[in-house]
Amino acid sequence: MYVVGNKYLFSVMLSTQFPWLTTILLLPLVAASVIPLIPDQHIKSIRWYAFGVGIADFALMVYTFWCKYDLQNSTLQLAESYPWVPQLGLNWSLAVDGLSMPLVLLTGLITSLAMLAAWNVTNKPRLFYVLMLAMYSAQIGVFAAQDMLLFFLMWELELVPVYLLISIWGGQNRRYAATKFILYTAAASIFILVGGFAMAFYGDTVTFDMASLGMKQYPKGFEMLVYAGLLIAFGVKLPIFPLHTWLPDAHSEASAPISMILAGVLLKMGGYALIRMNIEMLPNAHVYFAPVLVILGVVNIIYGALAAFAQTNLKRRLAYSSIAHMGFVLIGIASFTEIGIGGAVLQMVSHGLIAASLFFLSGVTYERTHTLIMEKMGGMAQQMPKVFALFTAGSMASLALPGMSGFVGELTIFLGITTSDAYNPTFKVVVVLLAAVGLILTPIYLLSMLRQVFYGVNNSGIVIEGYLGDAKPREMFIASCLLVPIIAIGFYPKVATQTYDVKTVAVATQVRNVLPTVVAQQGRSPLYSTVLIAPHLAPAESRSLLASK
Amino acid sequence: MAQFLLQMSWWVPCYGLIGAVLTLPWSTGIIRRTGPRPAAYFNLLMTVLAFLHGTVVFRSTWNQEPQQLLFHWLKVADLDLTFALDISAVSVGAMELVTVLSLLAQIFALGYMEKDWALARFFALMGFFEGTMGGLAISNSLLLTYALLEMLTLSTYLLVGFWYAQPLVVTAARDAFLTKRVGDILLLMGVVALATMSGSLNFPDIYKWAETAHLSPTTATLLGLALIAGPTGKCAQFPLHLWLDEAMEGPNPASILRNSVVVACGAYVLIKLQPILNLSPLVLATLVVIGSVTAIGASMVAIAQIDIKRALSHSTSAYLGLVFIAVGMEWTGFALLLLFAHAIAKALLFMSVGSVISTTTNQDLTEMGGLWSRMPATTTAFVVGSAGLVGLLPLGGFWALQLGVDDFGIQQPVLAGVLLSVNALTALNLTRVFRLVFLGQPQPKTKRAPEVGWLMAVPMVSLTIITLLVPLMMQRLSLLPTWEYINRTSVVLLVSSGLIGCGTGATIYLHKAWSRSMNLPWRFVQDLLGYDFYIDRIYRLSIVFAVNLVSRFSSWLDRYVVDGIVNFVGLASIFSGETLKYSVTGQTQFYALTILVSVGCLGMLMSWPFWGFHVLDYLRVSSG
Repeated sequence: MYVVGNKYLFSVMLSTQFPWLTTILLLPLVAASVIPLIPDQHIKSIRWYAFGVGIADFALMVYTFWCKYDLQNSTLQLAESYPWVPQLGLNWSLAVDGLSMPLVLLTGLITSLAMLAAWNVTNKPRLFYVLMLAMYSAQIGVFAAQDMLLFFLMWELELVPVYLLISIWGGQNRRYAATKFILYTAAASIFILVGGFAMAFYGDTVTFDMASLGMKQYPKGFEMLVYAGLLIAFGVKLPIFPLHTWLPDAHSEASAPISMILAGVLLKMGGYALIRMNIEMLPNAHVYFAPVLVILGVVNIIYGALAAFAQTNLKRRLAYSSIAHMGFVLIGIASFTEIGIGGAVLQMVSHGLIAASLFFLSGVTYERTHTLIMEKMGGMAQQMPKVFALFTAGSMASLALPGMSGFVGELTIFLGITTSDAYNPTFKVVVVLLAAVGLILTPIYLLSMLRQVFYGVNNSGIVIEGYLGDAKPREMFIASCLLVPIIAIGFYPKVATQTYDVKTVAVATQVRNVLPTVVAQQGRSPLYSTVLIAPHLAPAESRSLLASK
Repeated sequence: MAQFLLQMSWWVPCYGLIGAVLTLPWSTGIIRRTGPRPAAYFNLLMTVLAFLHGTVVFRSTWNQEPQQLLFHWLKVADLDLTFALDISAVSVGAMELVTVLSLLAQIFALGYMEKDWALARFFALMGFFEGTMGGLAISNSLLLTYALLEMLTLSTYLLVGFWYAQPLVVTAARDAFLTKRVGDILLLMGVVALATMSGSLNFPDIYKWAETAHLSPTTATLLGLALIAGPTGKCAQFPLHLWLDEAMEGPNPASILRNSVVVACGAYVLIKLQPILNLSPLVLATLVVIGSVTAIGASMVAIAQIDIKRALSHSTSAYLGLVFIAVGMEWTGFALLLLFAHAIAKALLFMSVGSVISTTTNQDLTEMGGLWSRMPATTTAFVVGSAGLVGLLPLGGFWALQLGVDDFGIQQPVLAGVLLSVNALTALNLTRVFRLVFLGQPQPKTKRAPEVGWLMAVPMVSLTIITLLVPLMMQRLSLLPTWEYINRTSVVLLVSSGLIGCGTGATIYLHKAWSRSMNLPWRFVQDLLGYDFYIDRIYRLSIVFAVNLVSRFSSWLDRYVVDGIVNFVGLASIFSGETLKYSVTGQTQFYALTILVSVGCLGMLMSWPFWGFHVLDYLRVSSG
């Protein structure tokens, strides 16, 4: 068996002196191993330690990306590759590009804030923070891994802490939710392994390096099969319509800090991996699957929004709203335009921040009311006006109010799909109109949530303990750390777009180059021949489509 | 200096926003010792600054070429979205109008909201409100306009929901948001479509595109309908009109702005969109129909209201309906003039009503009376406001409506009829309200009613004077026709319609003790009008019910079907495992057989390509 290490990565690695990404990735994991040794009767120093590690790692990320990362370059940067298990061909190869960099930053921010949000954990605090830090590392690993096997390892490594975090610190029905979560994701991740192996062993060379896998030419049937497998694996994570039922259970049963991470980071792994693997490695199959993705995206949006409206549990409602918002990511990914794919990345970042803030605030509310059933609450605004204000701000961001990041994400996805020249105009009109119905449904369930929880008079008999009262400075800090970037991106989207812009352009160009050849092929099924059309514009021409003169 | 201020004219809307930010220490409760007043003063100061800056800009734009300011907002890949600002006499004038009315409303609020514990929050919202509207006035980019319209929706939601513990406020705020949102999202679809078709979202570029665009009638109609949906929601036009009536639950100083300039903002956007709407005659016709239905319907509904604020808010819808007709008939000059006259007169009416409510702590018309001698300034304000609104005395409303009757008279006599009947009905309604509130015998709630304090009286009196000066302003802006160009017929028609309205209003029988008639058919009509033609019930039984039903269905589907299958798989695997465990017998032969059969099956499967053809061949041979 001939195993190829990545020569390109290796040469790049020599030029960088210090293994930045490895440090960033391993710091939380190494720091976690010290936690059992910290002498501490109370949990105070442990939680400060864990939070400190989280912030330090986040600061390290910011420093690294600020000083060592070139925003104008669409290729992989900060690459490092070491042979780990040469017998298997497993390399420890990490690198980031425009796709992973913003998501790594998002991970750092949200996980650190989640640890701060979990300040009141008194049950097994050592284990809790060890798991949090382990999860931190694994998440960064998923976004930074450039080796298929390493990616799979990280993907699995992140499941175990989540399982434990839900099943130990969750709500009443936590065992059921955690088991469902682990079974769903573990079963689905088999497809990653199978797909990865299939691609790795195809052809003359055996390699797990993602870039090399992307350069291989696969036959059509094989590519379709692998694509479908990966779509199931990542569709569970994103989630895509029939594979989503683990999400409302897991999100609502997990404690608020875990829900923050689940909604803020874990869902983004699905979207990230769809772009990284399904589009970049299997562009031919993507052309076939794209209309399906768009349809599934629309189903997600409407179905998620409708189901959210019928929920009586606060966190379940937010969970369904996540499903609806991730539908936009699917549409963006399948739009074949730079704007649309960029919008998908922006929507992921934006939803990460928004969902994290809403889940955090639901936790703040739950700590005070001890219930999540909205009908049992009411008139809470009088006792906690600050939480009310923050909740309103979060809801406004979620329903895509201009000036907040959600609007920019959804607007760019809309523009992406309408400017896409790959789809039949009627199909585009129908898709856009149905997605707009979703946009109308969003305020319906969010405002009714605000109404039920905060407006009116408190006649529910809920008494908020005096020592808890309104939001504490710590809670204000967490919420504002999430809301400030949301508003900053909303007012000046370049803050976020510049981090991934060149990369998404490259991805879109790659997939557009494949489009004409695939569309021109004979013998397609009727669905595609009516929905997909051969673009009339060459990719270069389309670039001036919306540029102002 | 003036040139510098002109260049910095985009600052004018920002002052309001800065004011809103400055109130944060008080509205969040960081500073408690001083009480919330300083926040209000900061806001007022900012509004004064905005006014002064705006005045300088207005003077320097007068008789000048319109200028454009450009900001690059979003540049992703090949998409470059710029925000353009239009600095012309009209846009800066509109911005000034907003600022002046906001300044007066804020001073008024200082008195009206004196004892409210959340004064700082209120002023923050007012600052936000003002900034958004000012931005809307000078925006020259459709995307920016859309964004500001949404911000306006948000601030309406927050202002209506200001007293969030009141039961009616709860639904009012939500309905205001949702109704406007439906319009806004449709507008967004239009914006997205325009971005794709015209390649730019700045109004001048869109106009240029619209001149040469060749769209299929269906596309043009769909685009136009999407574009008018936003203003329809914003201006409270049928079928998205119910929110304005409910929004009257909010604090009155905000209602002053809402009924004068906020609705005008929606109409202003519509006027800006007019060249695009021209692409489809059907859209223009729709505008005329929407406008006429709302104008007549709302004027009639207003007459049956017993809530003093609602009686006036419906007439706002009616006047905006006239603006819709004007835009549909491409008479934008009339539309702008009417908006201007209506904004000032309506603001004054609402200030006067606000004084009444603040003094009597009552909004019910049937419980009032005899205030004229007790509150002279308020009474004057009401009379002047009414005169400024209705086409009877030569104030703003008269000249605007006269222009309208003049315009429509020849082309579309029917529409002139609509205009005249709206005038008559509004005159009737205002006379009725005046009789109920200010004339007659004082009732328990209006017996001890002193005139309001100076904080409320000063803005009210100033606005009274401004309303009286509106014809003069119109003359200075040369908007009035000269003597020999006045169409006598239209003037006579207008004045007589106003007289008929006032006369009817003055003579109809108004009983205070019971407002519902004992006569059954009459009572039916009264209820029909009083409850908005029962449109809200129709909505509740149709749209709201349907959305509820569908969402429950999808939730059921999710829980029992989609999730049910998953749980069934889980159960089935447990069950099969439980069943299979009884097959563990310990007999080696049984195990060997199982392994043999399984391996055999696997082998068959793996070599299927080889077998398959042979089996098929065999079958073919045997059958053939």
